[in-house]
Amino acid sequence: MNRHPFVWIAAAALTISVGACAKKTPPPQPDLSGSTMTTPAQPATDVDPRPSPEVADQRPDPLSGDLEAANRHAYEQGLLGDVYFDFDRADLTEQARARLARNAEFLRSHPEFQLAIEGHCDERGTNEYNLALGERRASAAKDYIVSLGVSAIRLRTISYGEERPQCRTSDESCWALNRRAHFMITGRTNVG
Amino acid sequence: MSIRITRTTILALLGALTTWVLVANQEPAATPGALPDSQPPRDITVVLPDANQLPVIQLAFPALPNLASLSGTAANAGRELERTLRADLERTGIFDLLGPEELAVLQLTGDLARDADQYRSLGAAMLLQNELKLEGDRIVLEGRLVDLASQQTIVGKRYRGTFDLARRIAHTFADEIVLFLTSRRGIALTSIAFVSDRDGDKELYLMDYDGHDQRRITGHKSISMSPAWSGTGETLAYVSFFGGGPALYLADIATGRKTPLVTEGSLNVSPAFSPDGRMVVFARALGANIEIFVCQRDGSGVRRLTNSPGIDTNPAWSPSGQEIAFTSSRAGSPQIYVMDVEGSNVRRVTFQGEYNDGAAWSADGTRLAYSTRMERNRFDIAVLDLVTLGSQRLTNGPGSNEAPTFSPDGRRIAFASTRQGGTQVYSIDARTGGSLEQLTFQGNNSAPDWSPYLK
Repeated sequence: MNRHPFVWIAAAALTISVGACAKKTPPPQPDLSGSTMTTPAQPATDVDPRPSPEVADQRPDPLSGDLEAANRHAYEQGLLGDVYFDFDRADLTEQARARLARNAEFLRSHPEFQLAIEGHCDERGTNEYNLALGERRASAAKDYIVSLGVSAIRLRTISYGEERPQCRTSDESCWALNRRAHFMITGRTNVG
Repeated sequence: MSIRITRTTILALLGALTTWVLVANQEPAATPGALPDSQPPRDITVVLPDANQLPVIQLAFPALPNLASLSGTAANAGRELERTLRADLERTGIFDLLGPEELAVLQLTGDLARDADQYRSLGAAMLLQNELKLEGDRIVLEGRLVDLASQQTIVGKRYRGTFDLARRIAHTFADEIVLFLTSRRGIALTSIAFVSDRDGDKELYLMDYDGHDQRRITGHKSISMSPAWSGTGETLAYVSFFGGGPALYLADIATGRKTPLVTEGSLNVSPAFSPDGRMVVFARALGANIEIFVCQRDGSGVRRLTNSPGIDTNPAWSPSGQEIAFTSSRAGSPQIYVMDVEGSNVRRVTFQGEYNDGAAWSADGTRLAYSTRMERNRFDIAVLDLVTLGSQRLTNGPGSNEAPTFSPDGRRIAFASTRQGGTQVYSIDARTGGSLEQLTFQGNNSAPDWSPYLK
């Protein structure tokens, strides 16, 4: 091993900062709109669902309703967002990590949810290769979420390749939307 | 390379091939017709070049003389038979047909001795003489292929069958003619499996090699894709999502029965049979790592063949059974590699194009067809010569052209193209990329896999 000393310093600094964050209580405020990086907190199974003031006052929490409603709510409120990928790539961009950090935060606060992470591709690859690429995208998203403290047992991946595009026009704006990992709540378990 | 056939050889062949046979309905032969074959053949020398480079033969194919005397269903069957036979022979790429229109200028007498020179004056080297008759509720085709220089019948056949067998009779006769001239079976009785969304969801379908008789064979109401024939044509392996993630299933063609093959794990895709039909090679996910695996045809004995980070997928088993072609991103972009059947001796075989996938072997194992992406947004079909590693592009747009599959005689390639909006299955000549034929029209159709020779 012949690493540049700076690497070790940087690694040490990162460890310290993560350690510092992990001790922080209460958990960071949810950031539902911006694309700012939120710092992952330690896995927490005893955190209450965060109140969502506008909705909760009028009707029951949609996240405790049927799964379709829960998915719609989580998606529309930006609690579980899609992660986008570059052309022909499955590695996570800076923006993708930021989005995944917020997804992880939501999932830590809702340990009852079981999820499928869907991997999707735009139409420009071949159908067969895209099935593999979609799995890599879903798996990259899953691995990062797990590294942020979400239990892998709650997550499964499913690649749709280019078979289920979100957007059906043949142009870059549409292709960019189709190169994604999508989080789908698929079930609930009782959490002590 | 050419094969020179001497008089002795040709006489032997004539003796063997001018016997009447009855094929279509497998009934005992009716009175065997006698071919007017009494005069001894004169000296003939037929030069048969390598089948891949056969010169195009000018073939006179007059209208069926007694078609007009038939009526109703019999006439329909007769017309269907004639139309099918013409299309089959044209599609072989061996013939240039001179049909009724071209032949209308001739003053034919009906006496071959006198008419032969007239046919030859138009450049015809061979004549196809067909007679259509009715025997009760059966149609009878007596067909003979005549060499005009010698006036010898070189292929003579008699077929009898019910009206619904008209197309099968034509296909069978066409295949016999091709077999005689090229020493390789014709493909007129083969099928193509493909994927269509015409009924809503993506399901598996079959069609005859010329696009006729398209029929659905799955009803999973999910996403079903990637059909792959077994070497004997009895079974298709395929991918379906109906149980959750993409997993492998088998469909028995005769019974329609579906059975799970490999369903454990998040992703099992891109199946291909070994040529003896005993094993299946496929791609499976181990986390983010996609690798090539094999299993027995009952799903047991799953074994890993590749070991590289990144994607290894879309395998195709060579006709010899000794090698497997596949796509790998190990060098950055997707490229095609070939390995020995146990996973060793991996070598890259494509070097042009930023993205190559979908390797399909020719039946003689000398060529790989694949999809190559030169421009960012579309693919073309290319063929790689595995001896020289030289690659030839067969399409140049329009649209994206993907998922090539060889006919079992190696003469044609079917593929999916977006050239006319939507996706449809087409076939082209595997050497020239010419004689484009559209095979599907309804809904979107893709992922063709050409059957082996069928029983």
